Amino acid sequence: MRVIRNYLVFLLVIGFFVSSLPAEKVKPTYAVVGCRIHPVTGPVIENGTIIIRNGKIETLGPAAKVNIPEDAEVIEAQGLEAYPGLIDAYSQYFLETKSPSGSTAQRRPPFSAPAEERSWDKTNFLVLDNLKFKKTTLSSLHKAGITTILVTPPQQIFAGVSTLLNLNGEKFPPMVLNDKVFLHLYFTTSRGGYPSSLMGTVALFRQSFPDAQHYALQKKTFLRFPAKVSRPEYDAFLERLLPYVVEKKPVVFDCANMQDIKRAINLIEEFKLNGFIAGANEAWRVIDWVKRAKNPLLVTVDFKPPLGSRYAILGEELKKKAEKEIYPRNPAELQKNGLTFALVSGKISNPKEFIKKVTQAVEAGLPADKALQALTIVPARLLQVDSYLGSLEPGKIANVILTKGQLLTKGCQVTRVFVDGLSFEVQAPAAKGAQAPSVNLSGKWKVTVVSQMVTMEMTMDLTQEGSSLTGRLTSEMGNWEISEGTLSGDKLTLVIAANVMGQDMELTFEGQATKDKITGSISFMGGSAEMTATRIPDKS
Amino acid sequence: MKWRKFVGLILAMVWLGLSPLGAGQDLFIKNGTLLTITQGIIHGGDILIIDGKIKEIGQNLTPPKGIRVIDATGKYVMPGIIDSHTHVALSGTNEASVAISSEVRMKDVINPEDPAIFTALTGGVTMVHTMHGSANPIGGENVVLKMKWGKSSEEMYVPYAYRTLKFALGENPKRANMMGFSAQPRYPQTRMGVIAIIRREFAKARSYMREWERYNQLKKNKKLVSFILPPRRNLRLEPLVLMLQGKMVARCHTYQADETLEFIKLSKEFGFKIGAFEHAWEAYKIVKELAAEKIGISVFADNWAYKMEAYQGIAYMAGFCAKHGVLVSINSDSGERIRRLFNDAAKTMRYGDLSEDEALKLITINPAIQLGVQKRVGSLEVGKDADIAIFNKHPLSAYTRCEMTIIEGEVYFDRAKYLEEQQKKAAAKKPHKKGGQK
Repeated sequence: MRVIRNYLVFLLVIGFFVSSLPAEKVKPTYAVVGCRIHPVTGPVIENGTIIIRNGKIETLGPAAKVNIPEDAEVIEAQGLEAYPGLIDAYSQYFLETKSPSGSTAQRRPPFSAPAEERSWDKTNFLVLDNLKFKKTTLSSLHKAGITTILVTPPQQIFAGVSTLLNLNGEKFPPMVLNDKVFLHLYFTTSRGGYPSSLMGTVALFRQSFPDAQHYALQKKTFLRFPAKVSRPEYDAFLERLLPYVVEKKPVVFDCANMQDIKRAINLIEEFKLNGFIAGANEAWRVIDWVKRAKNPLLVTVDFKPPLGSRYAILGEELKKKAEKEIYPRNPAELQKNGLTFALVSGKISNPKEFIKKVTQAVEAGLPADKALQALTIVPARLLQVDSYLGSLEPGKIANVILTKGQLLTKGCQVTRVFVDGLSFEVQAPAAKGAQAPSVNLSGKWKVTVVSQMVTMEMTMDLTQEGSSLTGRLTSEMGNWEISEGTLSGDKLTLVIAANVMGQDMELTFEGQATKDKITGSISFMGGSAEMTATRIPDKS
Repeated sequence: MKWRKFVGLILAMVWLGLSPLGAGQDLFIKNGTLLTITQGIIHGGDILIIDGKIKEIGQNLTPPKGIRVIDATGKYVMPGIIDSHTHVALSGTNEASVAISSEVRMKDVINPEDPAIFTALTGGVTMVHTMHGSANPIGGENVVLKMKWGKSSEEMYVPYAYRTLKFALGENPKRANMMGFSAQPRYPQTRMGVIAIIRREFAKARSYMREWERYNQLKKNKKLVSFILPPRRNLRLEPLVLMLQGKMVARCHTYQADETLEFIKLSKEFGFKIGAFEHAWEAYKIVKELAAEKIGISVFADNWAYKMEAYQGIAYMAGFCAKHGVLVSINSDSGERIRRLFNDAAKTMRYGDLSEDEALKLITINPAIQLGVQKRVGSLEVGKDADIAIFNKHPLSAYTRCEMTIIEGEVYFDRAKYLEEQQKKAAAKKPHKKGGQK
């Protein structure tokens, strides 16, 4: 009896050790066959084979020239396209944004004494220490073909240090490619303290960089003449600035509008920083500056004209046109001017929306191959990982995505992604189980949303084409677009791009629909609310 | 097609961005009543503008071939109006979290897309001195801009104007009218505190300046140079050092006569220049002192008593001070009143007995002198920038209207054309469908 029990314990212990063996030992070998390969750095290969072994691309080429190893798991990819995994070089996925401790800080009016000294200094904020894994986020990234992301810190003047992740599983440490990529800087203010204005922020930058230079000089001189020079007093903030000001490690300025771009360029030039420009959806308006300064660009595909821009304030008509036609040309305009740039999601929090917007930039004149480079090899170079990421080449890390239909065209679907040679099958959207819609929901609806906190009335306009729906929700809070909608049988799913008090967020509605009534629940940021809608009869 | 237009626009913007600064346009203004300000009135006068500068003024000039001609028959032509104190075209006005914020520069936050720029043009304003607010005893460095609506901030910037630093005395810097807004009271809380903190700051600046002078002396000694460190740069004190060196002037927001005199004393103590006093509703009480010190004022025509320290204002102030030898300008302090400075100037004829010429000076050459730009703008004279406003009636008439505003020979506002565009836009909009239909 005791023997048996000991034996069981033994087995359990063995089991534990086996399961915790390093994953690389068991990384499988794959042969992806029959696909069209888009290496990005070389010509397209029809009917190609990719061999993935031990996390790397072992070889790739036309089917006739590549032998399939015996130990490989063969993945039939006939009719599929293979691309390098996409890189989003400016995002905030998985970032756990902490609200300031206590609510008084937020309620404090702008004209008050500094709440805490240097409240703007978050140079010690490491993104890696502030991440929270979410399976849904991972799968939505994979579904969009994104395998590598730079996660940037929350907005603050000296915001913190970003982390580069290769999305190879559910734990962060194995994902990290670089835990200190950039120091991020924003033209924002410090709520409740100094600086309380944009001009104060610029002044703070203009004071801080020479302060760091001076601090470095003090330290250096002290070490050379310890007997003659007094020891400089330790300064944690300046200490953390030294790598960026003295060693010229890269910093990123977040540029929300054309004036910000000029401000950033002025600062980069005045203090000889290794400066990147991020955001920059108004780069087309200061193209001569951008061309002259030649700073690396992380260009967002958020096409909303910035607050205060003439395209935002001179009437609703111009604003709409700007978002639909004018700002989407920004990447094309940069490309025409011979500039290289990475395309990034920035404020867009939905990977699918990000890719959709890149597609929109292509429709607005950006050549598709340049767009693809802006999502692969260019960000890889800017992030200094191009020796092992950013294209399909033997020896590079096996970040490979398979798609049905060409990337950046409508209807393209990612079917499988490999990250670090690990295969992730992407759930096909409900397509398989999809049923023909049982009703047509086009028309006007009166919507009531009831949560624990609040009851809200809205009107909803829906347009149904086949099983897909588009439309908008109108309420006191503004107009919210329905970015995605599907009706399968009587099952309705709507994704709503909402803006609540200036904050963009995504709401998902799931429920059932009849000809005149929709019921279900709406979920947002971890909460949910009941939503019902009744048809407003067409009077005419 | 639309796309081509867009590219054209971009190219035009790039070209404008690269073109040498100040390269203006050619224009011929024909047969107007020219209110030159400094050289009397020319009836039936013409102005020839070449490269944005006034080339010739007189009667019966011949326009060069191919030049754009503007017929000013029956109209009044005056130099572009200059607003010596406003806060338009900026992203932010006050760095109010601290009492001393001399490190901030309005130059860093120019907003070329502020619609108030267009509003200014509709009132004939071509140049503004746009300033830090009055929340702090020492605010920030102000900036002078031309109202080139649609152009970049660099093209609007006027580099040849005085560099000016904003100071403020009285209720605003002691946050007297901010009860309930400030979570905590801030030093200074009294007028004596305001003057004291400014004095303290100048004392700091003086020793900072000497620290640098000492360093620059020591640096010459080759034996010492390797371990002598330069002082830490202090951007808050640097503008004050420039003032001590006479390279920057004070523009001081003030109300009461006593604090105004205190500030003059302070300027003598430290040897800095005062460009002008702002608002200065009690200036009429110290008109002799101001005239003797040759310190100008930039004021409202009326509209006083909006707070305790403004109760002793009088409608005769601007006119009275001007008659007694003080350099007076009328300012807007606003993105709205900026479009009717000519009305405000006219008030000094009714209250203060100024002549037409004297009244017009308050919004043209006088503010130009206060900003140190009188050699370039402020009157219609050969060689000056062609910054011009055209009115349908005499600009001091209550029935007048600005018809056209020109900066460096380029028309930035044309009322007739603007109205036409607006009507076209309105007509292009689809008419509302009436009644239900299916």
